[in-house]
Amino acid sequence: MRTHFSRPAFFEGARDIAPTLVGIVPFGIVCGIGAMAAGASPFAALAMSMIMFSGAAQIVAVQLLTAGAPFGVILLSCLVVSLRLVMYSAAMAPYLRPLDHRWRAVLSFFLTDQAFAATLQRFRTSDDVRGNASYFLGSGACLWAIWQIATAAGIVAGEVIAASWQLDFVVPLCFLAVLVPLLRDRISMLVFVVATVAVIALDAIPLRLALICGGLLAIIAGVLGDKLMTTHE
Amino acid sequence: MSRELAIWLLTFAVGAITYSARLSFIAMFARRDMPPLLAEGLKHVPVAMLTVIVVPAVVFMPPGVLRIDPGNAKLIAALVAGGVAWWRQSTVLTIASGMAVLWSLQYVMG
Repeated sequence: MRTHFSRPAFFEGARDIAPTLVGIVPFGIVCGIGAMAAGASPFAALAMSMIMFSGAAQIVAVQLLTAGAPFGVILLSCLVVSLRLVMYSAAMAPYLRPLDHRWRAVLSFFLTDQAFAATLQRFRTSDDVRGNASYFLGSGACLWAIWQIATAAGIVAGEVIAASWQLDFVVPLCFLAVLVPLLRDRISMLVFVVATVAVIALDAIPLRLALICGGLLAIIAGVLGDKLMTTHE
Repeated sequence: MSRELAIWLLTFAVGAITYSARLSFIAMFARRDMPPLLAEGLKHVPVAMLTVIVVPAVVFMPPGVLRIDPGNAKLIAALVAGGVAWWRQSTVLTIASGMAVLWSLQYVMG
């Protein structure tokens, strides 16, 4: 493994991604606050960020746990939320194919929205597999470290700030900030409307299945909407 | 089962799920192309899942009563924050405006 490692490329990757990581800090803080609000100990709250390493999956897990959902439903919901990562995995796969399986196993862990965006350009334009892999590792490790620091800040905030401040409302606001800019075309609006109506209408169904059922219905609506649009053109 | 134990079990189980999702096409199906229908569906995952996370936290007031009216301070705060997110794509501004509206309404409504 060391034979593949390039120290300059590693630090270049970390340095390049650092400025874009301002955006993940609020999310990390939110994950810390959310885990504490769900009754986690500070150490368990930090372990969630270290091991799950996915803001959306962490928030869904603690929210459903607080709402009393069964384990299977929580896992299934986190799986659907994590499908986004499958998309990135497929997009990165061709560039990582020349690496041995250990490199691929390690780099996979660091695959995130931001690391994907930051490194795809380099993988497309450079054939230096060794440098690219180290660059990816550097950006991923930098992101992981900042994610832990932000979570720790959230854990402290969750312990210090009183419940009457409704700090847990930061969680939906954080997701809203990501969601709204995505609603730029008609199909996305359709997916949004179907998800909204479905998740409200299905709230009464048992086992807290509304989240996963509403999400899947909206995804199906999006696929059907795409098909209708293309046949009309 | 205690809450703490449940959180630890979830941490490892969901960790295995997120890692498997990341590993999927890089290692497990490295020799395969993605089925077209899966690719079409995945495109809509972000909007669909973000919506079902955000909406219930805004329209339901504890203990789970649907409140789509001006008396729901969180709904008003989320609408203002959504407008800010549309106008300025900034996470910090979105959170700041939403919390400012929520706190102001709480102060006014008592």
